[in-house]
Amino acid sequence: MTALDAEREPTTATAPAAGPVGRAGGNGRRVSREQLVLLVTIPALVAVVLGGWVAWRLTAELDAVEARQLAWGAIWRLTREHVLISVVTTLVVLVIALPLGVALTRKPLRRAAPLVVGIANAGQAAPAIGLIVLFAIWLGFGFTTGVVALTLYGLLPVLRNTIVGLEGVDATLVEAGRGMGMSAAAVLFRVELPLAAPVIMAGVRTALVLVVGTATFATFIDAGGLGALIQTGITLYRTSIVVSGALLVASLALLIDWLGRILESVVRPKGV
Amino acid sequence: MSTSEVSGDVSGEVSGVEIELVDVVKRYPGQERAAVEGLNLTIPAGETVMFVGPSGCGKTTSLKMINRLIEPTSGTITIGGKDVRRQDADELRRGIGYVIQGGSLFPHMTVAANIALVPKMLGWSSARVEERVDELLDLVSLDAGQYRDRYPRELSGGQQQRVGVARGLAADPPVILMDEPFGAVDPITRQRLQDELMSIQAELRKTIVCVTHDIDEAVKLGDRILILREGAHVAQYDTPENILAAPANRFVEDFVGAGSALKQLTLTRVSEVEMRPTTTAVVGEPSAEVLRRAEQAGDTAVVVLDERRRPRDWVWLRDIADHDRVPPPRTEEILGVDRRATLNDALDDMLTSSHGGAIVTGQREEYLGVVDFAAVTAQIQRQTEQAEAATR
Amino acid sequence: MGKARRDMWDYLQQQRQDIAFNTYQHLLIVVQAVTLATLLAIAVAVLVTRVRRLEPFANTFSAIGLTLPSFALVGLCLPIFGIKPYTAFTVVTFFAILPVLRNAVVAFDGVDKTLVESARGMGMGPARVLLRVQLPLAWPVVLAGVRTSTQMSMGVAAIAAIALGPGLGTYIYSGLAQYGGANALNSALVGTVGVVLLALAVDAVLVLVGRLTISKGIRA
Repeated sequence: MTALDAEREPTTATAPAAGPVGRAGGNGRRVSREQLVLLVTIPALVAVVLGGWVAWRLTAELDAVEARQLAWGAIWRLTREHVLISVVTTLVVLVIALPLGVALTRKPLRRAAPLVVGIANAGQAAPAIGLIVLFAIWLGFGFTTGVVALTLYGLLPVLRNTIVGLEGVDATLVEAGRGMGMSAAAVLFRVELPLAAPVIMAGVRTALVLVVGTATFATFIDAGGLGALIQTGITLYRTSIVVSGALLVASLALLIDWLGRILESVVRPKGV
Repeated sequence: MSTSEVSGDVSGEVSGVEIELVDVVKRYPGQERAAVEGLNLTIPAGETVMFVGPSGCGKTTSLKMINRLIEPTSGTITIGGKDVRRQDADELRRGIGYVIQGGSLFPHMTVAANIALVPKMLGWSSARVEERVDELLDLVSLDAGQYRDRYPRELSGGQQQRVGVARGLAADPPVILMDEPFGAVDPITRQRLQDELMSIQAELRKTIVCVTHDIDEAVKLGDRILILREGAHVAQYDTPENILAAPANRFVEDFVGAGSALKQLTLTRVSEVEMRPTTTAVVGEPSAEVLRRAEQAGDTAVVVLDERRRPRDWVWLRDIADHDRVPPPRTEEILGVDRRATLNDALDDMLTSSHGGAIVTGQREEYLGVVDFAAVTAQIQRQTEQAEAATR
Repeated sequence: MGKARRDMWDYLQQQRQDIAFNTYQHLLIVVQAVTLATLLAIAVAVLVTRVRRLEPFANTFSAIGLTLPSFALVGLCLPIFGIKPYTAFTVVTFFAILPVLRNAVVAFDGVDKTLVESARGMGMGPARVLLRVQLPLAWPVVLAGVRTSTQMSMGVAAIAAIALGPGLGTYIYSGLAQYGGANALNSALVGTVGVVLLALAVDAVLVLVGRLTISKGIRA
């Protein structure tokens, strides 16, 4: 589990309790400035960390074990695996969570939304590593099990933000769309989804980062990824390998987060 | 008319002290012009002085230097002869009442806890604090039993502002500073709050320094008005009458506005208008008796008073006749305008009442009588004639 | 199914004391870490409200911190601190700070400036303003952060158990180690479900703490 699932918690928890501590007013501007700082800071940080690591890797004298674990080819393979399982999981999450989120904001199912989000919330309390192990015991080791377990983990942020985003769309705009003769589907795709896109994207980014972090445990069930370096390092008691793994995973998570932030600002409709 | 006449017969002992500002300058780093460029001012003990002026003229800065929320760059400020800078800032502030817009009550504390803050910091015993809280709530016309344990959000804007005033008075400080105290409430409530403040001040005679942007409020509340222009330069410092009658310069003239005839409405107090008695009744009294009294007096409506003789309702005789006994008031409000209120206020009140008149109240909102529209117009007529006679 | 349930029951019976001990240890590390984190976060938030320029740093720190995979931090801390109990504690505390910090900055920022000035104008010193005005007003939002933080720390503590137990995380790891063995499922279930139950219980306690510590005047 990554710490990230907490990221939207405070904001949701804030809203009702806020009262006098309102988040209204100039907030929008402040967030965007914060965003800007992050858009610059994150790649700079990653560049420094990765640059430092590569410099170390090129100059350090490695023993046989380290040389094998930290071979460029091995690192590249682990990174590819890590990215692959994260991307596949995120796609599965999107395929499930987006339609489900849309369905739960339509009339027939709207009442069920709090229940579904509640269940998803409770599921989030389960430690990721526990879910992965349990799924492995049930479905066996391997990539598929990894994707299933991680999907369960990444589902909540996307689902919740889809529901919140769609519910946040001004009802009069929807009515105006229908009044102009647009079909329900047209209103959904032309009005509701574009307006909800920033919120949904924030959920997708949260899920992505969560999944990248959690995917470090995939190695425990032979589903690959950079977690292998950390695990091997710990078992072989090689600090250099543990730290290399940790730095690479952290950089990857930060990069993914950064890409997500960029995407977020791209999908934000102009004029919103 | 003079102000002492208005504060009138029941005025208490002066409990305020003199405030003096000598060559006070406030310069903010990085700003070319000083916010306050050498202000000299004496505020007499027990008077209400209103600071007015365009925004950015330094009136709030000047006010906040008195309790050192803003530290002056140079100059001396004394309160009751004591240099404020020779005292610990927190100690100093505990001895000065501070009331700001909206009351600024702490939302997480009850009404009682808000009022009790300063007395508690001063180490009063809890019995004394409790007694004081009830006394103050009574002073600002809030029922202690009903409001003591409420939280600010359970109060209306006017009630919050009343508690804010009570909090400022809590430790019985000789000096009260007010920063736009009634800026956040609707006009009707504002007028009532102003009336109450005048009534309280008549009793307590504190030294009150009050910042406002509303010249009408300044004329109504102030014993003196300080009109400031940019850099806190004194444009005029005088009684409201003199300022209205003889503006010192164009700036003051523009600021107080041209309609000086109408301004008389703000300057003339209800107590100067002829008041007439009307039939009163208390809740639960047999209707027949009330009707008889009213018919004898030739009144078509009666004023219903509560146990403290505060006007609570004004009802037509036919509405009373429908009941065996006088029915309870229709609202929780206390009606009427204070006798220190201006004719402007009284006219406002008449417009919203269906009786073509206004109930007048005195100390602690006790019923005094009624002024009607004819009496007000007669007063204006008389004043206009006097003014014309004077200019001729 | 019946057999599995009986197995589970037997396992719980056998391991009763051991489970109780590890649950207690898990609770202990989380409670200590979150308490320390809350104090640190409030201190930083107070500093940030005094020194505006630090605010972007605090926000960037929590945003980047929340991105870091906890397993990576365990990996980074191991060589520094070694396999010692406070390695786990350090990792849990680090993550525990972030949600509280984020909320505390928003909360202290959100305290009405006129209330603070009003308090100063009444003669309250800076410490009294903090304790009597700012903290009580910021508290609901800070506490919401504490709840998030606690929930998160439950999971982080389970992961950190790889650095050094004890805690419920050890059951998950031993479930993994015994993969295919008789007690693998029981062990993993005890670890996972135990963490969920503990998280729910502590959250309920925090809700109660909220009822007791948030003034009625500002309760939502």
